[in-house]
Amino acid sequence: MSLGRRAFLQFVGGAIGGTLLTPIPWKLADDSAIWTQNWSWRPSPERGEITEATGTCLLCPGGCGIQVRLVNGHRAIYVKGNPDHVVNRGGLCPVGAAGLQYLYAPYRVTQPLKQTGKRGDPKGFQPISWDEALKVVAAKLTELRQKGQPHAVACLTGQSRSSTADLWKQFFAAYGSPNLYTMPCHSDSTRLAVALATGQEADLAFHLEKATYVLNFGAPLLEGWASPTRAQRLFSRWQTEQPGVPETEFVHVEPRCSLTASKADRWIACNPGTEAALALGIAHVLIREKLFDAAFVADQVFGFEDWTDAAGAQRKGFKALVLGKYSPQDVASLTGVDAEVIQELARQLARQKNAVVLWGPPTDTPNNLYHDLAFLALNALIGAFSSKAMISLVPPQPWQALPDPAMDMEAFKGQGQKPLGQPASTPKTKVRPNTVHAFFNALANGEEYPIELLFIHEANPAYGLPENALAVQALQKAGTVVSFSSYLDETSAYADLILPNHNAFERLDDVIGLPGAPFAFYAVATPILSPQYDTKATGDVLLSLAKALGGTVAQSLPWKSYQDLLKLRAAQIAQAGSGTLVDATFDPASVAPGAPLKPNFSKASDVWRKLTSGLCWVDAPQALDRYATPSSRLELACQGLLASVSANAGDELFMAHYAPLNPSGDAGELPLLLITHRSLSLAPGYVPNAPFMNKLLPDDLLLQQDVFVEVHPSTGKKLGLRPKAKALLKTPRGEAAVRVRFAPTVPAGVIALPEGLGHTAYDEYVQGKGVNANAMVEVQLDPVTGLGTVWATRAQLRLA
Amino acid sequence: MSGNAHSEHAAGKVRYGMVIDLDKCTGCGACAVACQQENNIAFRPDESNKLRTISWLTLYRLENGKDYPEHREAMLPRPCMHCDSPHHAPCTFVCPVNATVRDEHTGIVDHIAVRCIGCRYCMVACPYHARSFNWWDPKWPKTMEAMLSPEVSPRMRGVVEKCTFCHHRLNRARDRARINGEDPDGVEYTPACVEACPTGAITFGNLRDPHSQVAKLAKDPRAFRILEKLHTEPKVYYLSSEQWIHKQSDNDLS
Repeated sequence: MSLGRRAFLQFVGGAIGGTLLTPIPWKLADDSAIWTQNWSWRPSPERGEITEATGTCLLCPGGCGIQVRLVNGHRAIYVKGNPDHVVNRGGLCPVGAAGLQYLYAPYRVTQPLKQTGKRGDPKGFQPISWDEALKVVAAKLTELRQKGQPHAVACLTGQSRSSTADLWKQFFAAYGSPNLYTMPCHSDSTRLAVALATGQEADLAFHLEKATYVLNFGAPLLEGWASPTRAQRLFSRWQTEQPGVPETEFVHVEPRCSLTASKADRWIACNPGTEAALALGIAHVLIREKLFDAAFVADQVFGFEDWTDAAGAQRKGFKALVLGKYSPQDVASLTGVDAEVIQELARQLARQKNAVVLWGPPTDTPNNLYHDLAFLALNALIGAFSSKAMISLVPPQPWQALPDPAMDMEAFKGQGQKPLGQPASTPKTKVRPNTVHAFFNALANGEEYPIELLFIHEANPAYGLPENALAVQALQKAGTVVSFSSYLDETSAYADLILPNHNAFERLDDVIGLPGAPFAFYAVATPILSPQYDTKATGDVLLSLAKALGGTVAQSLPWKSYQDLLKLRAAQIAQAGSGTLVDATFDPASVAPGAPLKPNFSKASDVWRKLTSGLCWVDAPQALDRYATPSSRLELACQGLLASVSANAGDELFMAHYAPLNPSGDAGELPLLLITHRSLSLAPGYVPNAPFMNKLLPDDLLLQQDVFVEVHPSTGKKLGLRPKAKALLKTPRGEAAVRVRFAPTVPAGVIALPEGLGHTAYDEYVQGKGVNANAMVEVQLDPVTGLGTVWATRAQLRLA
Repeated sequence: MSGNAHSEHAAGKVRYGMVIDLDKCTGCGACAVACQQENNIAFRPDESNKLRTISWLTLYRLENGKDYPEHREAMLPRPCMHCDSPHHAPCTFVCPVNATVRDEHTGIVDHIAVRCIGCRYCMVACPYHARSFNWWDPKWPKTMEAMLSPEVSPRMRGVVEKCTFCHHRLNRARDRARINGEDPDGVEYTPACVEACPTGAITFGNLRDPHSQVAKLAKDPRAFRILEKLHTEPKVYYLSSEQWIHKQSDNDLS
């Protein structure tokens, strides 16, 4: 059969027409459209019912209320601030907002692990059952106690504001070891200063809500100070015009142009580490021009005038010291701040009715004791402690603490041992000096006595301790290291046993006290979702260890579960009948020290129900009308130091004075000064930077593997560097490759390095980025308190 | 599209906009973190190549250019400006496939990733660098897939994405309004960044509602917009009492 041209065309035409009449082409077009959108390798998030759970953020001691959105009750997808919460009223910090990336982190420890290889070998970890792991630890504890060495057990916890910390205290008291430490922070030194000046064990509470003038010596208010979100809100409050409320003037003193410095109403740039000298210079002007609160000083202050010590020796007072040594001209040459500016600041400070002085190092580390005392003294002079009550004291435990531990002979003997490495000269006050560095030092060098069992709880000293190499050495020297970390971090890598804690979103816990806040505070953190892995709350682990030990240890920790202990707290609140359960409507400015708030609760069950629903318990701080010092006054000359400072010591050793510790190293070889700083988008603590937060880092802070140090352009040019150039940073503690950011944020001769980078553990999203600032800085032990202070380190920067 | 094409109201009664108070902003980045988790924004181990990174809300550092100790810095969060210029925003004008369009009932400039062909004309056109391109398929660590939101689809390699003013939250708010028998147009809602800000620096709402906080703040003497000279009519306003910050608003942001 032949097919003519015409027939062919007819056939083709018919075929096209026929096909178009069928659904085939439309179906194919539709399918291919769907197919192009069907990317099977791209995750399709599971859908379902969306609910919200309320809790408290445990990622720092800031106590923020959170609400977490869940899909089908088991998939947490979004954290936001609880708008009804007294601390944060809806806002969050970036670490809290990125919190779920820790919950779902690939570097979580999913079950108890035992190191079967050499310590520090990441491949040596093998699963072990909870029963077996607890048996091992209990056996070790029993053995050490039988050998009469309970003090050879030590613990470092990073969670100092939770009932777990109290459990540790109770456990160590009953077991018989003095070696319980918390990760170092600024309150380590302020608590000692407060104990010496006021005779009380308490945290300082700043009434910043009613302040009209805030003079801040270096505290990183906007970079994560105290309760970071609360600090942010305070700053915002100062920036908001409110009818009838005088505006708050915020003056910031710091060597570096931090964000706080940039955002302050006025920034006073001073030489690194000289903030205390400036405070004393201001005190000089206040005294010389009689601008200080004379009535308060005459009535309630000891040591302002010359005094006689217990041995009958005549001592110079604060007035004579400050007038003699800290004239504006003298201070100007120390600090680099003009004498006129010092006078002007003093007069401004004196003019204000509600002025307060804040202070703190840029990286929450203990401060030089005498410097803490200087800022306390300045606050005393402006009357911040007087009836104006711009500063008051909040005891670390708002109510009766746990029942006294039952202690047998072993416990008494062990507790009576000197904490490992603690210098004999530490002041004898109600506050136990938290001498972490001295402890690690002695442990690393094998001094005094060995540590056979070291617990590490919610802390990462192998990364986060200034001079972290010391922690690594110490970890290697300890007999057995037991980590409770939820994550495979730098420290748990050196553990023999990891008993993973629930993550911050999975556990029931609490927050006792809000750093810096002018009220007593208690919040309960309820679990947001059930544990993802085979983990156990450390509180419960401790209770079961105590039970396994039996005897007085078990008697001292009688609670069946950690939850029972928290319920006891609620019962204590109900019983004390003081304080109020509040939401966001609570105004801290309405609290007056010494005027306890009326309770709005009755039964313990009522308190528990409200606490677990996101309400917080608050109460007024103590009124500062009685001082438990030898003179029963606020002591500018601390008689408490008589016991630890030698009797023929100079008069100024009892008082605030400018006492910088010289950084080590040769100034010729290491001509620059390295200072470190924090930022809210770089997590410096127990948790590393989440991937969400790494995205925020600008490319002149982190470029691939390299961190940038800030250098003043004039210094950079002198060193032969160019912007973004690769350079070698050298300090007495180490050497590291960095890049250079030319920035007029620091004075000539100073370089600034951010904290929070340079992790070596975790996963590819975290590790190998930049340099760990803790490995570069030099720690200097305060000669009085023995605490490890950090202020500046000699350094060299040269072209790589 | 928000699906309100059938609205009885005249188009243009609602214009969602934002005012960011730079005096209050501390550059902490909580807004940008909240944005990332709300919108399933992908991340990679190295995020330091800013030409390759995906960011809907970027924090820029502004400097006053003076030497120490007169030096000052400020942070400027930059979401999509949702330009309100007549007829078209710069990006919608150039899109060959209508993947990015402005909803004239809300003023929101949306981007529909599955329509996008990845030509990136819009990225070139946008004077604010508000758009990002997916150079790779998004990949989350296996355990982190559990925290992906079902309300926003993860995008794929080869498409552009950008801030949507949390459009899905608007849809949810509109649904709620309908259920409650209220008028869904001009309904109030809060994008993730606004919700997260600890200092309350970001205000969001209907710019055409004279009683709204956002409309009042947009008329504040401290208010300015970035690159006004281009007449893109951004719906994101900034507040600052610093003259040096105002002066930088007409520079480009690179």
